[in-house]
Amino acid sequence: MESLTVPATLDSLARISVFITDATARAGLDDHAAWQVQLAVDEASTNIIQHGYSDASPGEIELAWHVDGPDLIVTLRDRGRRFNPHDVPAPDISSPLEERQAGGLGLYLMGRLMDSVEFEFDDSQGNLLKMTKRIGATGEPAQIFELAGRLDAVSSQAAIARVYAAISAGARHVLLDMSQVTFLSSSGLRALLLVRRELLAQSGELRLCALKPQVREVFTLTGFTQVFAIYSTREEALRAFGREPA
Amino acid sequence: MEITHKRLNRVDLLSIEGRMDAASAPQLKQQIEALFDQGRYRLVLDMAKLEYIASPGLRVLIEARKRARDWKLTDLEGGDVRIANLPPRIKEVFDLTGFTSLFEIYGDTVEAVGSF
Repeated sequence: MESLTVPATLDSLARISVFITDATARAGLDDHAAWQVQLAVDEASTNIIQHGYSDASPGEIELAWHVDGPDLIVTLRDRGRRFNPHDVPAPDISSPLEERQAGGLGLYLMGRLMDSVEFEFDDSQGNLLKMTKRIGATGEPAQIFELAGRLDAVSSQAAIARVYAAISAGARHVLLDMSQVTFLSSSGLRALLLVRRELLAQSGELRLCALKPQVREVFTLTGFTQVFAIYSTREEALRAFGREPA
Repeated sequence: MEITHKRLNRVDLLSIEGRMDAASAPQLKQQIEALFDQGRYRLVLDMAKLEYIASPGLRVLIEARKRARDWKLTDLEGGDVRIANLPPRIKEVFDLTGFTSLFEIYGDTVEAVGSF
């Protein structure tokens, strides 16, 4: 169990974001699921900051996460006023602009982004929000990671660490979206080869998509276009998973 | 979050970059309200470099469009807040919250500016 206690102020949102980014990476969530958890926790924290405490005496938010079997569980505790989710009317997301109410979207998004959202209240302990996200259940045929920037000896370590965490958590079909990768060094290429080998050892598959011309050239020059399964678009790569061997 | 402002002939273009959460959303609200105060009610928000949006950002967008559309020069010509370039993650939030049908969304800034 990892935890973080921060003052319930807007300045804390950036630290909360860093804490949750670390949690989702270590739990092995893919980039899309990681973003979903990030947004849900941001919304939950914002609700506590803006509505939980009076401005005169802002208290604290205690965040914690752990992995329980197939789930990542994130909890937020605060000792502000009692929160009852039934007091918040669900937004009518089909109403036209003139009638559209701007509130209630945060709670609504939390429910859409997470697999479960539960609120508890206790007189001595305050509010406890518990949210779970199933690891690996993305609904896609593969877990997608978006790599970005320069992939060299140093940066590829960090980028690839989340992929290894996902493989340890059971990911077998992995797609690396390379659209934001601007440079690939030989160390970066070696890191990709090691991921491929690890997945093959687990009877999994690695595919790559959306390479920029200068990155594709590295593969062409080294002959690795024959080794990696490379697709032009994410959709094309996803369609190929499970249908043909990598 | 960073906002770059470009004044065009009839339209103001705001390019938003980075993360729009509860801490940064008020910055966009202030910038939009400053334009409204100058009588500039035709805005294009370029979201090409927006990496993240949470509900406080959505709230700013909805309130801005409501106010802009209250301003009318003639029956045919009035204010509006229109959007150009919606990255996939931002589009997903728009889809989840029904915002896709609340805004006029264009594929690029030229098209969005030209729509006024």
